[in-house]
Amino acid sequence: MYSKAKFVLIFLLGVVASSWGFLEHDSWITVELQHSLVANSESFSFRGNVTIPSLNSGLANVEQPALSTVDLDLLKKLALGNEFYRLKATVVYSNGAKAQFITSNKACRLLQAQLNDVLWVSLDPSGYVTGITVSQDTAPATAECTQEDVKKLVETQFSTDVLIRHAELAPVPDTAGFIQKVEREREARERGEVRDNRGFFAKYWMYIVPVVLLVFISGATNQDGAK
Amino acid sequence: MQEKWLLAGLSVALLISTCSALYEDQIRKFDWRGVNVGALKQSRVDLNHFQPRILVSTNEGVVASLCVKTGELVWRQVLEQKPRGDIKLLQVSGFSDDSSDTAAAPMGSNLGFDMLTVQGHAPALVRGWNTNMGALEWEWSIMPMNIERAQDAMWIYSKSVLYHVLPAWRSHLEVTAYFASSGHSTGSTSKVIAPWITPESCTLSGTFYVCTEGKQLISLDLVSKSGQVIRTSLETEPNEKTQALTGLNGVVIVDGKPISVNKEQSICGGLQSSSYAVGSFNYRKILAFADLSSGILKINALYLDNCAPAAELEQSLPFPKHFGTPSLNNFDCKQKRNGEGKNCLFLFSTTSESIVAVQQGRVRWSREEALANVIDSQFVDLPLADTEGTLENEMKGKAGDIASAFLRRITTQAVQIRSLFLHVIGLGPPPTATQRAGLVRDSFGLHKMLVLLTRSGKIFGIDNVSGKHHWQLYLSNVSGFANNEQMRLIVQRSAKHFPLQPLCTILGKNAVNGNGVLYRFNPITGQVAEGGLVQLDYKIKQLSLLEETEKDFVKGILLIDASNKVHVYPEHATPLADGMYLYTADVKSAELSGYFIKYAGGQLSSTHIWNARLGGHNSEQQIIGVAGKNPIEHVHSQGRVLGDRSVLYKYINPNLVAFVTQAPDSTHKSVLNLYLVDVVSGSVVFTMTHRKVRAPLSIVHSENWLAYSYFNEKLRRTEITTIELYEGKTQANSSVWSSLQAPPMPLVERQSYILPTIVEALRETITERGITNKHVLIGTASGSIVEMPWHMLDPRRPIASTTQGREEGAIPYIPELPLPTESHINYNQTVARLRNIYTAPSGLESTCLVVATGLDLFVTRVAPSKTFDLLKEDFDYILISIVLVALTSGSLIVKHLASRKLLKQAWK
Repeated sequence: MYSKAKFVLIFLLGVVASSWGFLEHDSWITVELQHSLVANSESFSFRGNVTIPSLNSGLANVEQPALSTVDLDLLKKLALGNEFYRLKATVVYSNGAKAQFITSNKACRLLQAQLNDVLWVSLDPSGYVTGITVSQDTAPATAECTQEDVKKLVETQFSTDVLIRHAELAPVPDTAGFIQKVEREREARERGEVRDNRGFFAKYWMYIVPVVLLVFISGATNQDGAK
Repeated sequence: MQEKWLLAGLSVALLISTCSALYEDQIRKFDWRGVNVGALKQSRVDLNHFQPRILVSTNEGVVASLCVKTGELVWRQVLEQKPRGDIKLLQVSGFSDDSSDTAAAPMGSNLGFDMLTVQGHAPALVRGWNTNMGALEWEWSIMPMNIERAQDAMWIYSKSVLYHVLPAWRSHLEVTAYFASSGHSTGSTSKVIAPWITPESCTLSGTFYVCTEGKQLISLDLVSKSGQVIRTSLETEPNEKTQALTGLNGVVIVDGKPISVNKEQSICGGLQSSSYAVGSFNYRKILAFADLSSGILKINALYLDNCAPAAELEQSLPFPKHFGTPSLNNFDCKQKRNGEGKNCLFLFSTTSESIVAVQQGRVRWSREEALANVIDSQFVDLPLADTEGTLENEMKGKAGDIASAFLRRITTQAVQIRSLFLHVIGLGPPPTATQRAGLVRDSFGLHKMLVLLTRSGKIFGIDNVSGKHHWQLYLSNVSGFANNEQMRLIVQRSAKHFPLQPLCTILGKNAVNGNGVLYRFNPITGQVAEGGLVQLDYKIKQLSLLEETEKDFVKGILLIDASNKVHVYPEHATPLADGMYLYTADVKSAELSGYFIKYAGGQLSSTHIWNARLGGHNSEQQIIGVAGKNPIEHVHSQGRVLGDRSVLYKYINPNLVAFVTQAPDSTHKSVLNLYLVDVVSGSVVFTMTHRKVRAPLSIVHSENWLAYSYFNEKLRRTEITTIELYEGKTQANSSVWSSLQAPPMPLVERQSYILPTIVEALRETITERGITNKHVLIGTASGSIVEMPWHMLDPRRPIASTTQGREEGAIPYIPELPLPTESHINYNQTVARLRNIYTAPSGLESTCLVVATGLDLFVTRVAPSKTFDLLKEDFDYILISIVLVALTSGSLIVKHLASRKLLKQAWK
């Protein structure tokens, strides 16, 4: 009985471990966002700051000033040319280390979504950022923006959701669970819980009938072959 | 009890009927194996043995005996993997070599060995072989004190004593003597002070250790008691590293000239050649040398005692270009008084890793050992027969008005009738070379040309049904890329576009200046096409294939160079590069970068649009595996039907690439991370980590699933993890996939299994339309290929046997995967040193073509869902026609009888 309890414990631990999706040592990061509003240019201008005080909880403070009319016009021009809206994200870790990421999406989609976007932050198992992706939730109406689409833009303020993708722990071959299952089945057999008192044919007719049929069919074809 | 037995018997009967293995009479019907030994290292031609043979040791760690007449293998022993199986010395005992101190004593003198090999360094293994059967007779080993230094150790054999020479660079040499057959040390280790020795300048020639220093040779006789230093001056400072001349004690080759440092060994002066070998002819010692000049191989020989030319041995022959540059490895002659030199066999190793035997002024046989290192492979469709070709042309022609279509039909039929008439009276056009060779497409598309690219730069066109080598090509001075990336073989135009010929391209690096090299050829004939070799003036960083052009149906190659400039080859395909996405991955720092290619105003430009860092904090993670999907793959089924009849839609992202990184870890020994990255948007879709797990890693990625095997350090076993990605119960966009608008979080199903073998390669089967089930081919370290159905690897296998799982058709979870012998697709045809498996679709939906490469080559075909679209081989055509004829005639007769009866009744 003791061993059974142990198996259950191992199983439970396994279940907990396999749903592991948070870091052992929680930390904070800040992300400085800069965007490029001119196609193929290497100059980036400030967009806002994101602070994530706890990577495990995933809550973020986003501070983004409103876009100026000059920037809005540039963004519209970008959208009309079906160009990429490029975002540069500088991540600062709690230990002072920095890492720079670039992500892009079509400017047209950003306008169609009324400057609503989602910032996905992917983490590796030790809590370092592997990639930052900006995307839009809503499905676009058209692939390319026309002058009319651009005119529909009323927002001047970005509204950004920050979502964190944690690394997950890989499964291990579940030998304990399997042994436990086999054990349970054996015990059940020994206790005779599932004793079936039906007759032989009543129990196994579904196996016997196809076999008999098969034998008949193959016998028939063999005779044909012999001829 | 009785019931149980009956039940067991019934289930066995059921299982036997569903067994998917080969039948005995199907063996070798559609599979073949090529057996190789690897590039020649040392050889010994022995024609005077009672059983003439050629004993060879190779760079792949193989010892073998070859048949003198045909070059076929008599026996082969594949030693351990490098560095353990690296052969340092091959010593054959035999009476033909009566000469120097390095040779063995005659047979029968109770030396206790026929052939001796020394391999590896830690431990160094000394083995004695029986050369008739290839059996290992005895073995002893030594474990060096200093393993790092032991890598440079050399071995010499002299008078039944084996000397272990261990250099300590710029200091001294340590020489230890052992009795060759027992391994007993003959005394203490002697230290020879030699502060001038460096790895670049020194060679061991027989018992002499020879180093170059400026314009002189400094040599030491390691066996002599005196330990005297001999200095020999040279005319000029040598340009190349000196080489030892095997067979002569204390003779080295300096810039193509043989020079003796041994007082007892004189050598003829004034010689200049690229390769030398010593043998005997008419009971006299001979120095033979061979040179290749403008395609003609010239072999010359001198008697060593008086330097007179041995005219009987001189010969010259045209040497095929695809062998590369030959180098004389060994030769031997049948011992006869006044022999004519006809019985001499010269054995050459070449730069294209072939073994060539020359006798009587012609190439007697050759072995293509480049095939031991295949790095890329493609199955190319064969061209259509002429009549089918014109038909195809007609079908393809732009549908104009009815009149022109009718005219075209009439003219083609007139041409066909004319050619038929000419053919009948015997005046028809002669069949083309490919038709004569039987290289015409069959109706099921099972017969293809297998194009193999090898590491040495040799390319082969092999018939996948018969295994015949139709053509060979050799590219000299072309090598693989940096980061251990091999050369690439690309099909730029398939055989679909009759009358245009198919076109293949090889992409590599110029071995001299590191710039990119393109080589274009026709994969059916092996002839150079469209300019052949093109030297690019930039280094290739990444490449990708474009869409087919409308003009000549060539798929352009998009190249990105070291300074991130974009190029397209051929140039007229440049507009198609507009809107392409490319990514690069730095293996060392595990950084990924994505680029967008734009074509505007006749100019290509690239924009850096995303990056990802998989390296962790200090870039300690390194990429050990990258797996994308096969670009020709079709996914037939968009979803999976669940137990409750709802559909779970697959997440089929063609831009998804799996990256695996590995790094040492302080708490978990080593950590393996898997990242699934969308390489168009740069989004890291999924991350998973394994602890206490390390390489060797094999990975296969297809449709919506991924399987990868690795070694579990904690439990010391191989495991395989499988992943399936699903969008969910609804599909975002069923017609077009866009990575920029992808569903952000797919559902990830995952499971791990124990695999009771060591995995060397994984590959999925692929078929024309993707309707057939997918199987995973597992290449094991023991050389077998196991076909594993995906439903065994399925991550949705339920642990508790629930009704839902049963409804879905999933097998209950068992942690260890079975490897039944029926699913070994290469039955007993073991593939030695299996490295990779390639698959390609055939014309039949049910069948997938497979080639497994390693030291050996194994070609076969598999049918994962059985050959549902093909009649069985033993289908009884006679029976069915008899039945048909009988039925038809019976019904006719009965009809006739019935009508007569009706008529009679009507008269009554």
